Amino acid sequence: MADRPPAVGAEIETVGAASFETRVLEARGPIAVEFMSYGCSHCRALEPVLREVAARLDGRERIARVNVAVDADLAATYGIRVTPTFVMFRDGGEVGRSEGPHPQVASLTTILTRPFVSGDGAAW
Amino acid sequence: MVTHAPAAPILLYNGECAVCTRIAAWVRASAHGTPVIDLRPIGDDPAALARLNPHLDIWDAYEIVHLVMPDGSMKTGGAAVVEVLRTLPNTRWSRGLFALHVGAIRPAAWIVDAGYTTLAEIRPLLGCASCGSTNAVVRSVHGTLERLASTWRNDRRALAPYFHSASPRRPRADNNAHS
Repeated sequence: MADRPPAVGAEIETVGAASFETRVLEARGPIAVEFMSYGCSHCRALEPVLREVAARLDGRERIARVNVAVDADLAATYGIRVTPTFVMFRDGGEVGRSEGPHPQVASLTTILTRPFVSGDGAAW
Repeated sequence: MVTHAPAAPILLYNGECAVCTRIAAWVRASAHGTPVIDLRPIGDDPAALARLNPHLDIWDAYEIVHLVMPDGSMKTGGAAVVEVLRTLPNTRWSRGLFALHVGAIRPAAWIVDAGYTTLAEIRPLLGCASCGSTNAVVRSVHGTLERLASTWRNDRRALAPYFHSASPRRPRADNNAHS
């Protein structure tokens, strides 16, 4: 089994049922929420990629995670069928989502930022 | 953060992995009710794991087997398996084997480590949905073996009238064709 590369990049904030409203729905600016599970192999493979993407975004877009094994009700509320699923929020509303693994930094960056790109191509 | 020194080594296992839970059940049974190993599923709480050992990362715990020792150290992979075998009552005899050195190499520990590495690699093929996928070489070998097994099963079915009957007989001829 190959060793997982050392964790680099930004830490991902974990939000749960108690903090989801304030940290996601009432927050200003674009937020991507990863619905994941620590026992999910795809989530595990994605983690270093996600951290690197978070570092590249450098706060222009926040990234948070919801552990579906702990917050199953929250996952049900958002109709999460597979992990990882990314749901993009702005001003309390869902503006996009993406299911499944995206193991490349470039493709994951595109997926997480696309919903926030305006008609003239400018992000955020 | 407060960490409590465990009384016995804590073996963390993937509770979502059929192979891991089976091995954990074997360890539990081998302990014969004695508290020599504390078995715990990894779970979903990174903070709870960090309380066991501040250097214990939940992602790493799912990647490779971890044994948290009472002295605060951690053993992983083959070294954790060796320690478990050295500790369990019915495999304690292996201590002598693991202590043997050939130069700088401990052959028994090396074999266990190679065995663990192989098992960890093929876990997905043995029913672990949460263990990821195997590497390309293992997938290729597994696919070839499955094809061979499938061919063998089909051939055996075709040859069954010749080899699996109590009184060997040829396939029945269609006698009506000549009537």
